[in-house]
Amino acid sequence: MLNKTIVKLAIPLAVGALALTGCGSDSGGDGDAVKIAFQGPLSGDNVALGENMQNGVKLAIDQANAKGDLDFTLEYVPGDDQGLPDKATATAQKIIDDESVLAVVGPAFSGPTNTASPLYAESGLVTVSPSATNPNLTDEANGFTSFLRAVPNDNQQGAGMATYYAKKVQAKKVYLIDDKTDYGVGLATVAEKNLKDAGIEVVKKSVPQKTPDYSATAKDVVNSKVDALIYAGYYQDAAPFAKKLAEAGYKGAAISGDGTNDMKFVELAGDASENWFLTCPCTDATVEAGTKKFAEDYQKAFGRAPGTYSAESYDAANMIIEEIRKAGGDIDRETLRDALKKASYKGLTKTFSFEANGEFKGTDVYLYQVKGGKIGYQGNINELVG
Amino acid sequence: MSLQEFWDYLVLGVMLGSLYAVIAIGYTLVYGVLQLINFAHSEVFMLGAYGSLIVLQLVSPGDNPSVMASIGFVALAMAGSALFGGVTAYGLEKVAYRPLRRRGAPRLIFLITAIGASFFLYNLAGKLFGRDPLPLPEMYENREIFSLFGAGVNITQLLQFATAVVMMVLLDLVVNRTKLGMGIRAVAQDAEVAGLMGVNIDKVVSRTFIIGGVLGGVAGFLFANLNQVSYTMGFIPGITAFAAAVVGGIGNIRGAMFGGVLIGIVETMTVPLLGDEWRSVSAMVVLILVLMFRPMGILGERVGRAA
Amino acid sequence: MSTVDTSQNLTPSAAAKLRRTAWYRTERYTRLWAMIALGLLLALVTGEQGNTRDIFYSITHTLTGVNLWVCLGATVGVWALREFAATPIKGAVSAARGSAAAAAGGPVGSLRARFQADKRLRLGAYAVLLVLVLVVPSGLERSWQTVLVDQIAIFALLAIGLNVVIGWAGLLDLGFFAFFAVGAYSTAFWTGRLPVEPPVVLNNFWVIPVAVLTCLVCGVLLGAPTLRLRGDYLAIVTLGFHEIIYLVAKNADGITGGPQGARLIPDFSIDFAGIEYTWSIKPLPYWYLLVFFIVLVIILFSRLEHSRVGRAWTAIREDEIAAAANGVNTVQFKLMAFAIGASTSGVAGVIFTSKYGYINPEVFPLLQSILILAYVIFGGMGSIPGVLIGTAILVWLPEALKDWVDPSDRYMYLGALLVVMMIYRPQGVWPSRRRQRELKLAEEGSGDADATSEPAGGKN
Repeated sequence: MLNKTIVKLAIPLAVGALALTGCGSDSGGDGDAVKIAFQGPLSGDNVALGENMQNGVKLAIDQANAKGDLDFTLEYVPGDDQGLPDKATATAQKIIDDESVLAVVGPAFSGPTNTASPLYAESGLVTVSPSATNPNLTDEANGFTSFLRAVPNDNQQGAGMATYYAKKVQAKKVYLIDDKTDYGVGLATVAEKNLKDAGIEVVKKSVPQKTPDYSATAKDVVNSKVDALIYAGYYQDAAPFAKKLAEAGYKGAAISGDGTNDMKFVELAGDASENWFLTCPCTDATVEAGTKKFAEDYQKAFGRAPGTYSAESYDAANMIIEEIRKAGGDIDRETLRDALKKASYKGLTKTFSFEANGEFKGTDVYLYQVKGGKIGYQGNINELVG
Repeated sequence: MSLQEFWDYLVLGVMLGSLYAVIAIGYTLVYGVLQLINFAHSEVFMLGAYGSLIVLQLVSPGDNPSVMASIGFVALAMAGSALFGGVTAYGLEKVAYRPLRRRGAPRLIFLITAIGASFFLYNLAGKLFGRDPLPLPEMYENREIFSLFGAGVNITQLLQFATAVVMMVLLDLVVNRTKLGMGIRAVAQDAEVAGLMGVNIDKVVSRTFIIGGVLGGVAGFLFANLNQVSYTMGFIPGITAFAAAVVGGIGNIRGAMFGGVLIGIVETMTVPLLGDEWRSVSAMVVLILVLMFRPMGILGERVGRAA
Repeated sequence: MSTVDTSQNLTPSAAAKLRRTAWYRTERYTRLWAMIALGLLLALVTGEQGNTRDIFYSITHTLTGVNLWVCLGATVGVWALREFAATPIKGAVSAARGSAAAAAGGPVGSLRARFQADKRLRLGAYAVLLVLVLVVPSGLERSWQTVLVDQIAIFALLAIGLNVVIGWAGLLDLGFFAFFAVGAYSTAFWTGRLPVEPPVVLNNFWVIPVAVLTCLVCGVLLGAPTLRLRGDYLAIVTLGFHEIIYLVAKNADGITGGPQGARLIPDFSIDFAGIEYTWSIKPLPYWYLLVFFIVLVIILFSRLEHSRVGRAWTAIREDEIAAAANGVNTVQFKLMAFAIGASTSGVAGVIFTSKYGYINPEVFPLLQSILILAYVIFGGMGSIPGVLIGTAILVWLPEALKDWVDPSDRYMYLGALLVVMMIYRPQGVWPSRRRQRELKLAEEGSGDADATSEPAGGKN
């Protein structure tokens, strides 16, 4: 009986709450705070990546506030799109509706970028994505006028891998795997084209994320008698795959992109990751003094090491903060957008500046290799192949 | 595909299939006694993997353990996963399903409850243990130990296959030779009459869940050993194993074993023939084809009559 | 297995010993243990986020923190109240209920009676409701408008379609969202945004009938071979169907664009008889469009519900064999339910795709099919208002929870809500009266509440 009463009471309450959240949440009014939002997967399957990025942004904001040379306070606003295109519009709109948000770091993934960017473009709110790498995003036909990409797109890395295999490793036959994500397919398509242009035979396969058993794939790699392999995907799947490859007795070269360029790859794959090449459009994040400090601060703040795109998000947030600081905190969305488009900012990972369509300027891709359980820096690919 | 390659993939397929079979049994057992698709079984599986991870992190095997130590670690990890799986399944039955069963709720309600429980459990696991995948600490040095038709079999695969076979044999004995097994069969055939005959239905159902949970948990450990541990690891093997249970004839234990191995082989064979991305598709196509021509699955029928 | 024959050789005192239950196994204390376990779970649920660096972090934090004691205190407090102060509370509650019923029961009851009697009054109420639905959203914040249009309304349309399949015909469909994908990809195809060229590029409004037709064909294609399966088998086959559609969308790069999806899909536009209008990214125009379709579908379907077709579905749902014996062509009607549901889904797919302008396979994961089923059941299957409310609540909840809890925990709470709801109110928020009766009958042990309770393999 009691239960029924509760339910009877709960329904009108729920309906009322439904109406209330619609009308009553005018929380955007606290004058002098400047907000920076992050849009990315904070729930769902890709939350690990989203958390890496969110922490990077948070750290940048906290440090800027702690420094005390700002005459305004920065606030962080999370926007969870689950990495899904269909959830991104509501998330973006919520960020846009908050008048004191001046800039957004994100969207993290290319799919959500596609659906959210028209809204951002309409509102003039600038989005700086440290990780959406699909080359199509900066296509002028999209009209994504407030999208800035703070990362070289897939074309650069795919080409870099192909060049390295063609010139340095001198591979004859390459096994090319994408992970059936937007990122992986984009990378693999470019790599395939470049490899073929260099006259290398390519075996192209797709192995979707979360494949339960990589043994069969590994066997297929060995059976194809290739001398080099490209895995275009993220470390979560590259790691078990690397293990199975080692078990299957694969001896050739292996390379993967920035999605795998993460210490977690080494931790997950253990010895099997030894000698894997990893590319990244970023310079080494552990060698320079500034990045070392970043890693320490991050560890202190969140109790874990920075992951994929943490440093990039940190950079993107800092670049935004820098521009806001120049204007003394008093800047509107459009002006900030235009300022960022012209900005040149030297961050931890790279120097940021943008083309007219929001594309990242610069084509440098760097090579790393796993050696003795560490990701060792090798150098700029273009210089390495000389 | 050369003959040698065929054997290679066949062996791999059987190994993977034995894993699916163990998970499928969990679905089938529960279906047998309750006629319920326990969608939350995939979370039992996932939590089992975390169980073994927790145990292994506590005992932390160092580099190069001796043979005896290796066996010990494997046994401990397995016990951990069995415990987690069993407890989760027991809790699920007690909290989510028993109140519904008492009321005789229609099965659709069970289904939604199962879905809700599944959402709850995997998100809780993600919250408690972090949302990045984790490797299972190495318990032994994995290497090839013998070859079967020229296809190498390594320790991980042997462990997987042997555990699966042992568990299935044990289960078959339990179901066919013990009093509990008799109870399970009786409840599967007709719960009402079984109750009248003095079978404590609550107990039988609850123990069936525990058995299914232990199997699922150990399968989670084996899977983690093959791949890695993560809070979303349950979904895909869960769906596949469920399909396997249906292909074999849901409710039928031997059917689940057969279906699991069949689906494992089909998936693995897809890799060289069509490509990795089509493996789930081929599993589902097999499922639909089988059901079109044999609506009750290949071996058909239920626990009570068939096992 | 309780042993039946053990009591034979026992002395009376030993038998008495067996009969006595230890104190901790009495009902009162079992309830206490349950409440303690619940408190523990609650503490873990509301505890700190864990991390992979140290997987024990969250658990140790929770078990040593204050939160645990708060949660335990709360649950044990509830237990104590219920065990030792049950009578006064019950009295107060029933008194309150009595007065509330006295105050409200009369007028509400008579109002309902008048409602049912007077058709004009009913129409008037519907009209008022419609006006409210059209006017109120323009006063909302734009982000809530977006949620309303992009998610609630689209899913409401879908849920109404699924309601036909599962609520009325009683067919357990776990792959309903696949038809949505078919509708979406049809849109991308007919507006020329897929790698394969369409024969003619159509305006979005013309895509709707085409997509509906495509979905109908898909529905029949899937239904025809599988509808002789019943219950759980149908469920797994439809689930497999969804998985296949999803994976084809993902893997057939040359046809569907693969994981990169289709982009730049145009919005709806009219250029007819001097009226020129293009829907844009603003939510409100799409809201009116969606309301138009939802109302249209509701009117069509509620007419269907009380027609011969609807009665045939009810008959099939309640007892398929009896229905067949009474001359209902079960296969035909089941196919019809499938196809009608699928075509509604197709309409939703077209509108969705036009509104977003971009799709990729990740919009159509298997999880969506399962979620939409949960919406229907949660609201109360078989009842259109119930389904609408269920969708509204369950879609709105995760969005609103963003502000209250860690976003990554939202679906944990949603899952818990589903479980609790199914235990305490299985008929849903706003059940149809017929369905309520069926549930009650099923609980009493006579009759089926859905076609899923047939024995596996069906009764053919």
